[in-house]
Amino acid sequence: MSIPVAQMVAVTRYVLKQRLARRERYPLVLMLEPLFRCNLSCTGCGKIQYPLALLKKNLSVEECVRASDECGAPVVSIAGGEPLMHPQIADIARELVAGKRFVYLCTNALLLERKLDAFQPSPYLSFSVHMDGPRTEHDLAVSREGVYDVAVSAIRAALKRGFRVTTNTTLFEGSDPQRMRAFFDEMMALGVEGMMISPGYSYEKAPDQEHFLRRERSHRLFSRMLEDAKKGWRFNQSPLFLQFLMGKRDFECTPWGNPTYNLFGWQRPCYLLQDGYAKTFRELMEETDWSRYGRKSGNPRCQDCMVHCGFEPSAVRAAFDSPRAMGATVLAMATGRL
Amino acid sequence: MSDARLAELVDRAFDYRGYVTVRRTDGSELVGFVYDRGASHIELFDESATKRFRVDLTEVADIAFTGEDAARKSQQIWERRKGTLEPRDTPAWGDWQDAGPVLVVAGLEIELRSVARALGAARRAGRVQGRIGGADAVAIAVGLGGGARRALIDERPRLVVTCGFSGALDDALAPGDLVLGTSVRDETGEEIAAPAALVRAAQEALPGARQGQLLCTTSVAGSEQEKRAFARPGALAIDMESYPLARAAADLGIPWLALRAIVDPVSASLPPFTREERPGYLWPAVRYALSGPRASLDLVRLAGWARKAGGALEAGLRSLAPVLGAAEARP
Repeated sequence: MSIPVAQMVAVTRYVLKQRLARRERYPLVLMLEPLFRCNLSCTGCGKIQYPLALLKKNLSVEECVRASDECGAPVVSIAGGEPLMHPQIADIARELVAGKRFVYLCTNALLLERKLDAFQPSPYLSFSVHMDGPRTEHDLAVSREGVYDVAVSAIRAALKRGFRVTTNTTLFEGSDPQRMRAFFDEMMALGVEGMMISPGYSYEKAPDQEHFLRRERSHRLFSRMLEDAKKGWRFNQSPLFLQFLMGKRDFECTPWGNPTYNLFGWQRPCYLLQDGYAKTFRELMEETDWSRYGRKSGNPRCQDCMVHCGFEPSAVRAAFDSPRAMGATVLAMATGRL
Repeated sequence: MSDARLAELVDRAFDYRGYVTVRRTDGSELVGFVYDRGASHIELFDESATKRFRVDLTEVADIAFTGEDAARKSQQIWERRKGTLEPRDTPAWGDWQDAGPVLVVAGLEIELRSVARALGAARRAGRVQGRIGGADAVAIAVGLGGGARRALIDERPRLVVTCGFSGALDDALAPGDLVLGTSVRDETGEEIAAPAALVRAAQEALPGARQGQLLCTTSVAGSEQEKRAFARPGALAIDMESYPLARAAADLGIPWLALRAIVDPVSASLPPFTREERPGYLWPAVRYALSGPRASLDLVRLAGWARKAGGALEAGLRSLAPVLGAAEARP
């Protein structure tokens, strides 16, 4: 596993503080969407279908910092849209880093090489490059030829300049476990710090509705992909979450774990579903009817969801809830075995 | 309309990824994007995505789905190209343009000096390259009455600001006062309105600036009589660069702002040597000062006004920095 020690310590301190304060619900990662426009139109994405005037809008640096302060989560994942299309993205990252947030700037890397000058390497900043598998699969997922090659070149350039780089991979129906294993080898050979993987969520607004993974098929795919995980593979995720993807553990969703802030406000209830918006983070946490979400609620939109934004916080919580789960986490981190 | 029908319409409007037209019970209409709804209201962004509205459901008579559904459009594009990928040489910015720098256009070198101080950068060969509000910025001097069409084409800026000194057309304006142009008008009477949302944002950042029309002439209107001849209600200041720039920006679809600092009040007349553009004004000024004690005093007074105007321009640009840096991308 590859979560940096400083980040692990910060998250552990934060979680312990919340538990001492007897907080039932607290966020771990702020999902910040400073814009909706993107330079790609991926088949499985339901995030960018808005009228032009809304696509042209940006959250200001101040709005982004305010959202992070309001939320208080130790980690901020900047998503979108393509964050590097935001005219002030470097300022947003710099301000969040100055506030000692661990920032994961998610990008398709098409603009990364030409924007690197605007950023300063920092232990708090990581470029999380979108890589949906080997060259053919990735280019197909993003609907454009050559994107894989551009991203690999940008990863090399960022690593050479001393930046932290991770990858994030969304898997869909039809992914080949053996080819994905070879892809993990390839990413590790590039020198990335760690990888993040997750099944895709069946966005209602995504153009391609045929290739989203259902729960049982997700388990099958992830166990074949991750069984006998190679020692050299480093995942920037909780091992318990990976075991959940493999079907070795079961968790209920923690929809408030990764709250989302964007142009409309605080999105209810989570990063994937849009049931409305709260004006403040407090309103989101206190006035959302959380019982309507998660598998147990019977909500049909939650039944097949296994996405990291809902279940990684559950995995972290589980580790703090039971010494046995904490032991399993530590063991998996030490040995790399899932 | 029944409650059930209204609830169904509200749910559909909330799910719809396009503009709807809300007809109110008083007969008025509101076009916008419904991004939230509650038990008793809906919330919308207007078509420019700059204003939010909350409409009580008791005021809603009907909702029509009048805008294109972006989700449906994306589905159709995907179906059309199913199996084929965008080519390798598709621009990295996709359908969007590179955000480009903020371009600040001054007339004279003396004005560019104030701009350079605001950008925190040095002038090199009549050009300043720096940062403003976190964005790249370029400033140039185009000369007295110069146009900036070529610079707009070359720089492809996200936003352009015409920025410099002006004469007052309103008696209430004093040297060092700032004017934000809501529109510019040329001598033939043709008028171009500045983008309203941008002017609004600029006004919030610069609450002390006066807002109004700028008049743009092709020669210096330096005497009190000339200025009084041009003065009309709503027109605040006179210059020589704002109209050609606004014309070019409007033609090229580039958002623009006009920020002017007053040098001479309406009641004052400028020395004759200021009517022509020169590489330097030192010797003409010395010659003018030597023409008599009154001329010397005029000159001292004018230097003081220019210093005030330069300082105001620099401070004004600094205050505008967040607005300029946050200028939006263009498709």
